[in-house]
Amino acid sequence: MFKSNKVTAMMAFILMLAVLIAGCGQNAPQEEATQPPQQQEETSGGNAGNGGNAGAEEEVRTIEHAMGSTPIKGTPQRVVTLYQGATDVAVALGIKPVGAVESWAEQPFFEYLRADLEGVTVVGEETQPNLEEIAKLKPDLIVASQTRNEEIYEQLSQIAPTIVHETVYKFKETAEMMGQALNMDAEADRLIAEWDARVADFKQKIEAKLGDQWPIEAAVLNFRADHARIYVTGYAGDILNELGFVRSEYQQEEADKGTVILRLTDKESIPSMNADVFFVFLSDPSNEPAVLKTYEEWKSHPLWQNLDAVKSNQVYVIDEIIWNLGGGYKSAHLLLDQLYDHFELEK
Amino acid sequence: MTHLFPRTVYKWAGLGLSLLIFMAAFAASLAFGQTPIGLGTVWEALFRHDASVQEHVIVITSRLSRAAIAAVIGASLAIAGALLQALTKNPLASPSIFGINSGAIFFIVAAAAYFSVHSLIHYMWIGFAGAAAAALMVYVLGSAGRGGMSPLKFVLAGAAISALFVSLTQGVLVTNQQGLESVLFWLAGSVAGRTVDMLLPILPFMAGGWIAALLLGHSINILTSGEEVAKGLGQKTLWVKTAMIAVIVVLAGGSVAVGGSIGFIGLVIPHIARGLVGIDYRWIIPYCALLGGSLLLLADVAARFVIMPQEMPIGVMTAVIGTPFFVYLARRRSRRS
Amino acid sequence: MSNEIRQASPVPSETVSLLLRKKAWTVIAVLTVLSVILFVGGLSAGSTMLSPVETLKHLFGTGSGEHNFTIHTLRLPRMLLAMLAGAALGVAGLILQGIVRNPLGSPDVIGVTNGASFAAVFFITYMAGSVSLKWLPLAAIAGAAAVSALIYALAWRKGITPVRLVLVGIGLAACMGALTTMMIVLSDEYSTIRAYRWMTGTVYGAKMSDVLSLLPWVALLIPLSLLGAKSANTLQLGDETASGLGVRVQLHRLGMLAISVALAGAAVAYAGGIGFVGLIAPHMARKLVGRSFGYLVPVSALIGSIIVALADVVARTAFLPLDIPAGVFVSGIGAPFFIYLLYRSRHQ
Repeated sequence: MFKSNKVTAMMAFILMLAVLIAGCGQNAPQEEATQPPQQQEETSGGNAGNGGNAGAEEEVRTIEHAMGSTPIKGTPQRVVTLYQGATDVAVALGIKPVGAVESWAEQPFFEYLRADLEGVTVVGEETQPNLEEIAKLKPDLIVASQTRNEEIYEQLSQIAPTIVHETVYKFKETAEMMGQALNMDAEADRLIAEWDARVADFKQKIEAKLGDQWPIEAAVLNFRADHARIYVTGYAGDILNELGFVRSEYQQEEADKGTVILRLTDKESIPSMNADVFFVFLSDPSNEPAVLKTYEEWKSHPLWQNLDAVKSNQVYVIDEIIWNLGGGYKSAHLLLDQLYDHFELEK
Repeated sequence: MTHLFPRTVYKWAGLGLSLLIFMAAFAASLAFGQTPIGLGTVWEALFRHDASVQEHVIVITSRLSRAAIAAVIGASLAIAGALLQALTKNPLASPSIFGINSGAIFFIVAAAAYFSVHSLIHYMWIGFAGAAAAALMVYVLGSAGRGGMSPLKFVLAGAAISALFVSLTQGVLVTNQQGLESVLFWLAGSVAGRTVDMLLPILPFMAGGWIAALLLGHSINILTSGEEVAKGLGQKTLWVKTAMIAVIVVLAGGSVAVGGSIGFIGLVIPHIARGLVGIDYRWIIPYCALLGGSLLLLADVAARFVIMPQEMPIGVMTAVIGTPFFVYLARRRSRRS
Repeated sequence: MSNEIRQASPVPSETVSLLLRKKAWTVIAVLTVLSVILFVGGLSAGSTMLSPVETLKHLFGTGSGEHNFTIHTLRLPRMLLAMLAGAALGVAGLILQGIVRNPLGSPDVIGVTNGASFAAVFFITYMAGSVSLKWLPLAAIAGAAAVSALIYALAWRKGITPVRLVLVGIGLAACMGALTTMMIVLSDEYSTIRAYRWMTGTVYGAKMSDVLSLLPWVALLIPLSLLGAKSANTLQLGDETASGLGVRVQLHRLGMLAISVALAGAAVAYAGGIGFVGLIAPHMARKLVGRSFGYLVPVSALIGSIIVALADVVARTAFLPLDIPAGVFVSGIGAPFFIYLLYRSRHQ
């Protein structure tokens, strides 16, 4: 079989050819780029329940987003949201999506949104939404994220115009993007203005209350069954930052490096948690006994007692859904409410 | 094969030296870490404890339990590896390569995910069950087919069973993201953040395993000189083998329940022990215990520094150290075969 | 003694080999029919259940075209990719088992899949932000190739023996596995689940461009492996014997190894770290058509493709509306099969 060198040479040649072909296949131009929505006419009959923005002018708006630009005709009525924050923002804008991804806890949807999401179809998990379910709903707008849905962007665009945000927790940018797409710019602006006003109010009141001590260092801590975490940036971290809280020197260094989460396995690293106030949430509700036990162990460690927040009794256990899993506009307000309560400020 | 300590005197001396190495490694584990603590302070912390000194607190609460767990697991895995190598007549055997660790892990993960099992004692027993199941499967698979048992077949059977359980574990965790995040560190191998009361329930079983292994030493010597020879000398080989498997399962299963997936200790240490004292298992077992504990202690210390302030999972550390050794052995060994 | 034996087997040897050939072709035919049934059935199943007749109409362009998107864009690429990957893995496993002379050899055991996983997880964890995900398959193939080259180099000692190849492969597989786990542990949350899903094996989000990228590998390499069929059969007799019979042992081994790695690497690049297909498919093939390499190749390919395609269909329909990675169900099939293997081998 392999007696002659010619055969070997031919084999090698064929192999190279295969690689070349494969390479060409990879670089083939992506013809299935964003397609204009075809479902406007088909679905207009089934939208009796969706009041509001009638009078669909046939203007085309182009939305610039993380993965390109998408033209949207008229006003979308059937929205599918593929991340928690987007679902939250949709509800805040007064829209009921036709489909949304399952929530991380309190399935199928978080309790704080559940009433507004009656009858919404679950289209799978945020990490792997079911394309067929989405297509079945015949949406005219899909709100997705790059971190979760980059690889199915093409298919999503074929189902409906798809707008994509880079990540899942930047609720203000999500609101802006969705406001533009849904022809609800004014509403979106109003929501953001409302938030900004509350932020300003909070800053004023807390500065008045704490005087010289402001700004104080805050740390967001999380305890799980076998390790603890410091959420250096991320949803809660960004909001706290906006409100004027600062990070401890060590945590700020990490944040500058781009770290989002610090995972701590040894109680020796407790000092790195240090800050003036702690916001603690416990994870993995299905595993509660183990998580509580871990929390107790860390709390009873002598090093814990040396922390500033502990010494001044500023350790608050807060809600995981509002502070980490929700990632949206309404949850941001609920977070702020909790802060008002903790610091005993008037709303 | 010549070994380093031919005379009994040397063997005792070597054992003493090993003990010293072990104690040094233990001390290092107490001293080195994110917070540098001098040896003098360590001494004080142990014997003249002052609860207000932060370093003392760290030593007693955080590092002592960690060192104890590392020592226990290191010793246990090394002994289990030695027994496994003797049992399968395969110098390339170890609980991780033979899928025993993976079996224990799968059973524990499945129990936690589907049956809401959470207490460590239960994990331990489930770990035993998983380790036993994997061992059984490898044994049957490795002795099947033409030619009966062969070292290569065992290794392949072990790798295949390991792949099986890893795959099943992935299946359980991929549909359960919260669960996955909770066990990631344990999966990768970890002795950190564990308190002594995680070790205490398991300790009697482990200690029992060590003692059993020591007592079995003589029988193992007979067994390794050949099946027919052993039977001729009146040994009930089936009993001995069963006892060996039981010890392996207890030691490996218990280690996994506490520390997750830590491999290569059971491979590397028995070789070093054999190089020092030859094939007398009455000596090999104690050497394995001390050297195994030392190696894991030192690996743990290294794991604290590689990517400060986060820690490298110790299973990764042992894999990185152990693989070159394994490849070296594989090349050397198959030259002779 | 020998007289009795001769009397007991009156069938001439040519008839036996004819029977064998007939049997092999029957098996191939049956498997092909099964594949077609699975193909049509799988395309009909999903969130919206269609009747097979409807599906066929859509495939041939007649009919209402109402479900074109579902069938052509969503289900067809997945099905094709699953089948191609399964076929590639089946043959890759077959070749490796021949090289290693042990029915337990397979790309996941010997470290090829682990090398691809390492590269893929590295990519997902550290480069997914800056480099587009469409380069992920290339990274995986590169990983498989690099690790295989490393295994080959480390196992080389005036030639490759099966034993050394296996041992070095297993050792490196464990090392890669540990490093991959480390990356997953230390990665941020989004990468963790993405990497873990990839490692389990999934054809979610498959596009026709993916199918077209995998196709050349499969279409060229599987027939290519048939070229080595005769030598493979001869090598079963042992290195020296085969060498004496004119087989260029080392060259053949290198060539077949390269083909196996390329097949496994390509399959894993597009379908993720699917395990077990390379182990099970050749086994079942051997039970059906014996030891002749020439027949084993198509049968392994067919069985492999059926397994993965079936796993994907189940994965996306069994837990609606959730869409589960196919690798979970390949393991689900693999595990009982393994147990069955064990049960059977007790008696050997």
